[in-house]
Amino acid sequence: MSVTDIFNLALSNLTGVESDVTSDKDFFATVSPRDVLFFCIGIVIAYVLGLIISHHVRMRMSHRLKKDQLDILTGFIRVILIIIAVGISLPGLLDLSVTIILICIAGVIAIIALSSQKVISNMVAGIALLYESPFATGDYISTGGVEGTVVAVRLFSVQIRTGEGVYVHIPNDQIYSTAVSNVHANVARRFEYRVGIRYEDDINRAIAIIRQLLEENPYVLENPASAIYVSDISADSVVLSIRAWFPSNWQLTKDDISRTTSILPNVKDALEAAGIEMPYAQRVIWFANEPSLAGDPVSKKGQK
Amino acid sequence: MFGRYPLDYSTTGPDISIRLSDAGSLLKYERECLGSREERYLGRSFSAIHIYPVEPVNLPEPLTQYLEIAFPPVVLPPGAEQTVYVKFPVEIGVFLEAEGKQSPLDVFSLVPVKFSLYGLPSSGVITRWFKSDLFPEIPAVDLYREGVMALTLKNCRTENAKVSRAVFDSSSMCLYYGSRVAMTATLEVFSEYLARTSFTDAAPPDCPNRAIDLYRASSFALTRTKGYFMEAGTS
Repeated sequence: MSVTDIFNLALSNLTGVESDVTSDKDFFATVSPRDVLFFCIGIVIAYVLGLIISHHVRMRMSHRLKKDQLDILTGFIRVILIIIAVGISLPGLLDLSVTIILICIAGVIAIIALSSQKVISNMVAGIALLYESPFATGDYISTGGVEGTVVAVRLFSVQIRTGEGVYVHIPNDQIYSTAVSNVHANVARRFEYRVGIRYEDDINRAIAIIRQLLEENPYVLENPASAIYVSDISADSVVLSIRAWFPSNWQLTKDDISRTTSILPNVKDALEAAGIEMPYAQRVIWFANEPSLAGDPVSKKGQK
Repeated sequence: MFGRYPLDYSTTGPDISIRLSDAGSLLKYERECLGSREERYLGRSFSAIHIYPVEPVNLPEPLTQYLEIAFPPVVLPPGAEQTVYVKFPVEIGVFLEAEGKQSPLDVFSLVPVKFSLYGLPSSGVITRWFKSDLFPEIPAVDLYREGVMALTLKNCRTENAKVSRAVFDSSSMCLYYGSRVAMTATLEVFSEYLARTSFTDAAPPDCPNRAIDLYRASSFALTRTKGYFMEAGTS
């Protein structure tokens, strides 16, 4: 094949492309204003329908879901409706079969999914979190070594403010695949405190004093009843364990500083006021050979 | 003490002291109750101050909307209906009136607060807990400490029903005052684990004055319920 033949072949191919472009122009030229109008009306109807459904979802679900969860749910509904509207009205507009449109959508989705697997996985995890609702905005959670108050639950991530005031952004797929402890999921929580008293102190009296303190504390729940019992007879003290239930939403952090400070200091003061002392570490040491101390009359007497 | 007063009102009692005084261009509100003290400055545009009993679920902070009254057990035969009287704690609310509307200013109480859990930690509710005796007739009470609830117990079961506690939703409470603070409520027992409490909005003969509902006067709206279903039993 000569150079001239190759040139002619290339020219004919180029002419073919040009004719294809020309046919596409003809295709778009066939789109009537009526098709465009139907397309626009379809999108507007989907948009308005999305607003109406979102409004009803908010009205009916507002007592079950929190604001950020509702935002995700209603946003998801509106996007789905727009996609459906485009899927229905686009074939009529471009005079394409539904099969071709579906193939195109599938292709686009496949490309997006391959190029952004992490984003898709975060979104799916976000929808799963929305459905399962293991926590909501304002809850104090612990997950993957991070503890803090949930500031926002979004489609791709969860924002947490730690007790130190640090902002932490956690992708949803990470949270979904990790154990989450929610401090506020239940309305009441049990706390345990341990107090040591001396061996010579009256255990029952100490328990009665502590019980009285718990009864006077408004936040120590009447039911379930508190439990105070001897949990250990250790080397230096008799250890009393105090198990008390508190409302979960009283304090919004897990640190429970005020709860701890209101119980333990009061227990210490009340016990000490009743003559029950906090024990010091003590050791009784026995010598195999009694040591003799110079000037010790007892030792001298023994030597005699 | 309960009622509507001008803005120069002051009262001093053994346990409660309320005083409104001039503070330049403002008014000064001072309240003392059992050692706790509240002091606030108010604008001049208010027209009156109201002092009423309010739903007893606001102190020491709004942690719950439910009031639980525990009383000695009552056993009711099938189909029985019995009215008894129980006491409940009184909380006193101070409201400011401006342009015909009352807004809450302060809440205080002479009664110690105790919370409890009704139901399981996973599905129950935190309640303001109060222990009362059971009275066949209206008991004598301190107006500013305890109110009297006429509680009608209805056993809708075909077996005996044991009742020793009742949980009420404060959003449906109807408080009246006069010679005492009063409420009228009903407890219907449907099964061992299901009962319903509700309030009747009717003034007892010697308590003709309707108190302001704190929840209605507050800025946040709360749907008024028709009652509360006790799904964790009545004893």
